[in-house]
Amino acid sequence: MKILKHITVAVLFVLTLGLYYFLKPSNPLIMTFSFIVIGFFIFNLIVRKSLSFRNYFTSRYNLFTTNVRFEKSYDISMDLMFEKIIEVINNSNFKLVETDKDKFEILAISDVSFISWGENLYISFEIKGKETIMKFCSSTLFQIYSWGRNEKNYNNLLNEIESSLIV
Amino acid sequence: MSIIVNLDVMLAKRKLKLKELSEKVGVSTVNLSILKQGKVKAIRFSTLDAICLALNCQPGDILEYVEQER
Repeated sequence: MKILKHITVAVLFVLTLGLYYFLKPSNPLIMTFSFIVIGFFIFNLIVRKSLSFRNYFTSRYNLFTTNVRFEKSYDISMDLMFEKIIEVINNSNFKLVETDKDKFEILAISDVSFISWGENLYISFEIKGKETIMKFCSSTLFQIYSWGRNEKNYNNLLNEIESSLIV
Repeated sequence: MSIIVNLDVMLAKRKLKLKELSEKVGVSTVNLSILKQGKVKAIRFSTLDAICLALNCQPGDILEYVEQER
């Protein structure tokens, strides 16, 4: 699936370059295509701040995001863990955007910078026996590779969770 | 774990709520709840000191060692 995704992105990239190379900039086709591309980017940047679009960003079929998934379990109740993670995110580099206490879901984002379009971090919770399993899905926008950034951010967050358990 | 946290017992004895203790000690209610359940990784001396001051008790009133079969 990953290879197919990369091939599709490469083909789209070559097609775009070809379109711009062979057609004049004033061509209506170029204008329409440019509007669609810019509109798509703006749409993604706006909807990334909503938990409702979680499935869209974390989908394996989304060509413009890279998803890295992690799991971590703690012997702490789900309610407490939910509150704990909110506290940790508020003290981290991530910005807490939306929480859903009913579904036990959290969305945090990292800011857009010169080297990245930003990262969406979706956290969901599950109970397994006495343990609470936290499922992290880190989604990087408009990038095929995260260049290890997602893993680094996840490790930083995990370290912050661990150190926050020292009261 | 062999260390039992008796924070809930002391809170009941002093007729204090967790939120009130949190305000006195300066530790979030989430952290105190996790401490109460004995799920924290470690407790700082400064936190223990603040809790003992707020509850007017000794560390031994909050922490107890119970021998368990290994």
